[in-house]
Amino acid sequence: MIIKVQNLVKRYGDLLALDHFGLEIEQGEIFGLLGPNGSGKTTAINCMLSLLKYDKGTIEIFGKPMSPDAYDIKRNIGVVMQNVAVFNELTVYENIQYFCGLYIPDKDKRDRYTDEAIEFVGLQDFRKFMPKKLSGGLLRRLNIACGIAHKPNLIFLDEPTVAVDPQSRNNILEGIQRLNREGATIVYTSHYMEEVEQICSRIAIIDKGKTLATGTKDELKAMIKTGETLSAELYALSEEDLEAIRSLPHVTDATFINNRLTVLCSGGKHNLIRLLDTLKSRDISFGRVFSEPPTLNDVFLEITGKELRD
Amino acid sequence: MFLFLYTSRVKTLLRDKDNLFWTLMFPLLLATFFYIAFGSIMNKSENFKPVPTAVVNNEAYINNTYFADALKTASTGDNPILQLSVLNREQAEKQLESGEISGIITVSDTISLKVKQSGVNQSIIKAFLDQYLQTEKEVAAILKANPDAANQGLFNALGKHISCTKEISFSGADPNPMLNYFYALIAMACLYGSFWGMRNTTDMQANLSALGARRSVAPTHKMASVVSDGLAALTILFAEIMITVCYIAFVLGADFGTRWGYVVLTCFIGCVTGISFGTFVGSAIRKSEGVKTAILLGFSMVMSFLAGLMIGDMKIMIAQKAPILNLINPATLLTDAFYSLYIYESLDRFFLNIGILSIISLGLTAGSFVFIRRERYASI
Repeated sequence: MIIKVQNLVKRYGDLLALDHFGLEIEQGEIFGLLGPNGSGKTTAINCMLSLLKYDKGTIEIFGKPMSPDAYDIKRNIGVVMQNVAVFNELTVYENIQYFCGLYIPDKDKRDRYTDEAIEFVGLQDFRKFMPKKLSGGLLRRLNIACGIAHKPNLIFLDEPTVAVDPQSRNNILEGIQRLNREGATIVYTSHYMEEVEQICSRIAIIDKGKTLATGTKDELKAMIKTGETLSAELYALSEEDLEAIRSLPHVTDATFINNRLTVLCSGGKHNLIRLLDTLKSRDISFGRVFSEPPTLNDVFLEITGKELRD
Repeated sequence: MFLFLYTSRVKTLLRDKDNLFWTLMFPLLLATFFYIAFGSIMNKSENFKPVPTAVVNNEAYINNTYFADALKTASTGDNPILQLSVLNREQAEKQLESGEISGIITVSDTISLKVKQSGVNQSIIKAFLDQYLQTEKEVAAILKANPDAANQGLFNALGKHISCTKEISFSGADPNPMLNYFYALIAMACLYGSFWGMRNTTDMQANLSALGARRSVAPTHKMASVVSDGLAALTILFAEIMITVCYIAFVLGADFGTRWGYVVLTCFIGCVTGISFGTFVGSAIRKSEGVKTAILLGFSMVMSFLAGLMIGDMKIMIAQKAPILNLINPATLLTDAFYSLYIYESLDRFFLNIGILSIISLGLTAGSFVFIRRERYASI
């Protein structure tokens, strides 16, 4: 077990930021903490890193209790903060070298690691650039390089793709997967479910400081009733027709809003065919029709009653 | 590791253009403006130029031997006030017209002065004549009342300027109130060093910046970061202050006396005070960086103002009205330390200032430590 958090409670005055939060992360995982803004993801990470005081609970990393002066633990941790944390007065190279130097005293090794980190994030052409001269995406890459240059075994990435263009986002996500393949365990927080689905081997869904569910994406999706979401563009639909659709086998709910029919179905075969047959038999003309497997948003929606994006 | 932290920090701070401006360029510019404003007053070596004056060579002048002697005295010696020419009327008028001379003195029944325009030179000639005529009247009055006065040394006494007050210098230096402006300016520059202290705190504390958070999760002992950053800031500020002092002393010519070792010590203590002030404000006040900068700037300016940066006599006025202020104001203590070194032979007052400054710095550092030593925060 790389990380073990039990019964973590953190209060900000009257606000309960972490409510008996717990998780366990195994070596080699890319573990996703998924939750809306303000759900407690960053607070949980800051507690794990011993930056924040907490009211109750235990945190173990590499099998040892985590504390501010646990330097042997910290030496093997890399952190990529949500906000870009670099020196504006130092070049790309100097920044990476500085943060690498906080972990690696040997100069030759430090220089080599710095070069490798620059190559890893694709900033070779920007070595002598000041951070202010970099675009948002490149700045995020520099932020990542500063956090991983010392080749840590455990890396915390706190929403590293916020405000990043799609090209840089893909670059970052590929980089994270590469780090994992090279042996690093990753803790990845995001409120973008697509990213979490794309790269994480296991996911914890968090809301209001609580871990609501943990598992692989398939395990999480299997926890909910919804197996398939069907939708169709219709010109009009009477209440009688809608009731007929709701009474079809495996249909758990159906709504008609803004000329769009949405039908939630539990697991089962031929849901789409049955829906199309019904529309045809009732002489309801339709446009485009979609069938989507359940998403993590559906999981979140079913567990919390609200959208992940809310 | 410590050397790595120290050199990296020096490199970082040396590229902080905003702070470099306020702690080095601004004091240099202000010193230059002071020099332009006070230059003629400061420059004691500037020679007074005797006023070119003509006296009309006529019989009345030749016969008035007392006046002729007075003119001779005024136009000869080490510090003559007049550059006298004895000319006939026509020559004198011609030279006055061409501006070669500033005035024509004509002796007849009375002594008269003719000038072409009013100005400093003309006022000097007139002041000389007024003093002569006043003295002449006094002599006449004394002789009328006491005819024997002439035999009792009256004329010898008149030939001397007798001053009833005496200027005493304790260190061989001449009192010069203008120096206080430059000393207060150096004090201000030291207090502006508080910007370095605040920057250090912001970059170090996880609850103040993302950079602080990133540094806090590294396996570096907090005290190593605190000391290396503090020493880096002190190195840069001390270098800046010494550049400023050297510029003021050797380029602008302001006098710091001869005890340069103590001048350097004062600068060093000033730097420590400035940085500890900024560290305290940076760590103790949970406001935005802009608010903290405004607080530091405001306090530094007010303290420098009270030390006499804008009104030279301010320090004296405060000493009369609220002397305690002078004892707790670092800018006044620094200014007074410089002036004590310059003017007094004894070092008692100097060491009193340095002692109080050291206590203030220690207090601020101890206060900062209470906040900085935290390794976990309630919120970030």
